[in-house]
Amino acid sequence: MNLTLYRKELKGSWKLLVIFAAILTMYISMIISMYDPEMADALKQFEELMPELMAAVGMVGGQDTLMGFMTSYLYGMILLVFPMVYIIIRANGLIAKYVDQGSMAALLAAPVKRSRVAFTQWMVLVTGIVLLAAYSTALEWFVSEGMFPGELELRQLLQVNGGLLCLHLFIGGFCFLCSCLFSEAKLSLTFGAGIPVLMYILQMLANMGGKLEKIKYATFFTLFQAEGLAAGEDQAFLFAGILLLAALVCSVAGILVFRSKDLHL
Amino acid sequence: MGMMEVSHLTRDYGQGKGIFDLSFSIAPGEVFGFLGPNGAGKTTTIRHLMGFLRPHEGSCTINGMDCRKDAARIQKNLGYIPGEIAFFGDMDGWAYLSFLQKYRGMSGGNRMMELIARFEVNPKGKIKKMSKGMKQKIGIVAAFMHDPAILILDEPTSGLDPLMQGRFVELIQEEKAAGKTILMSSHMFEEVERTCDRIGIIRSGKLVALDSASALGAKHRKRYTVTLATSQEASDFATAFGGEQNRLNPCQVTLTQKQTLEDIFLHYYAEEDKP
Repeated sequence: MNLTLYRKELKGSWKLLVIFAAILTMYISMIISMYDPEMADALKQFEELMPELMAAVGMVGGQDTLMGFMTSYLYGMILLVFPMVYIIIRANGLIAKYVDQGSMAALLAAPVKRSRVAFTQWMVLVTGIVLLAAYSTALEWFVSEGMFPGELELRQLLQVNGGLLCLHLFIGGFCFLCSCLFSEAKLSLTFGAGIPVLMYILQMLANMGGKLEKIKYATFFTLFQAEGLAAGEDQAFLFAGILLLAALVCSVAGILVFRSKDLHL
Repeated sequence: MGMMEVSHLTRDYGQGKGIFDLSFSIAPGEVFGFLGPNGAGKTTTIRHLMGFLRPHEGSCTINGMDCRKDAARIQKNLGYIPGEIAFFGDMDGWAYLSFLQKYRGMSGGNRMMELIARFEVNPKGKIKKMSKGMKQKIGIVAAFMHDPAILILDEPTSGLDPLMQGRFVELIQEEKAAGKTILMSSHMFEEVERTCDRIGIIRSGKLVALDSASALGAKHRKRYTVTLATSQEASDFATAFGGEQNRLNPCQVTLTQKQTLEDIFLHYYAEEDKP
């Protein structure tokens, strides 16, 4: 890893990280505060009003514990989509954008191996992902403890968020691979953003249940099972492991692709 | 063996585009002018030398190392000015230069300050908002600040005013005196004439001429023979126009017109449409 490059790119991630952390802060504290029995009624009303839409984003009620409440109202959309947007923007910006603009030439016209450049950029991406996950976890814990002391089980929270981290690392690996594959930022975004978003839409359709439920076999979001992770089910952990493995494969593939590709700089 | 060695380098982009069976060698300490019309393949060749592209056929080496496989090792001692310099987003000029310095693992900054003074660079402020000339000057500083032994310069003076072009020529002459090996593509005839030991002209991806500037000039000398009425007239004519009187036929005078490098370039550039 080249530390100088790492620092420069972290600086470049900083603003975006703060923005996404702010968005997450708002939603996480708002949703957790709704666990309050009175506020929960408001959510129930939403569900009665538009059951399909609420189901699509995983917001189905009937959860008695705070963790259960959080899995349905936070882990169906907010904690999936916002970090995903961050990942898409950053992954594209770390490789494909520089290749497209030509500024990658400055990074390669130096005694730093291509694989090292790619690895450094990957580390920057992973750092951002881990920071967002760590921040969300800490925030969820402190907000819960502050509002409903003793209601949230730390072990469950860590299990669910560990799985979530695996999911985000996989999305990161995939977007990074796209960023390495395509020399045009436009193409890198089309695939790097297009496929994860499409997968999420499929997930929403599958959530609506009925015949559409089978769609869950076509989207990788199925591999993240918040309830299963909270309950400590083997299958949920296995799925998280698969996501982590796939993340690793995508990341290594990205670095190898970048190492050997032709660059018109 | 040359410092830079391009042998049978081929990269076919289809439709006659690309470079084909390109071979040339640049000796240590030599300044090589790399010329040709737009789209002839200069930048493609340079991309191979920089290790950005993998040759379809043939090879290129710098200091005996493979340009693609040993790119990082070669780059330790190489300075590069791209044909179109691109910077990172909204980086500050100072930040850019000091980033590159640290990124390369350099410590001292004396040479950088010297170059900044020499080209009257003002690295303050966002690079994005700088003039084309100022961006080019930042690129020059970035390429020379680590005092590399080998320089690959793709149209290094584009966007510079004549004063700065002059300073750049001086810099190249100094580097040459210091024994640096330089490959420079350019469209500025004067700059090439004043700096380059040898010139390679590429057209449609093929090398069409390769020689020293003076030898190229000699090859393209134009001779006219004028026949006058008397040998006296011929003698006067010869004196007046700097011609040479024919000894066997004193009424004839041969005039030699020296062609400028510019004429020679145009000769090679313009042949494009001939079958």
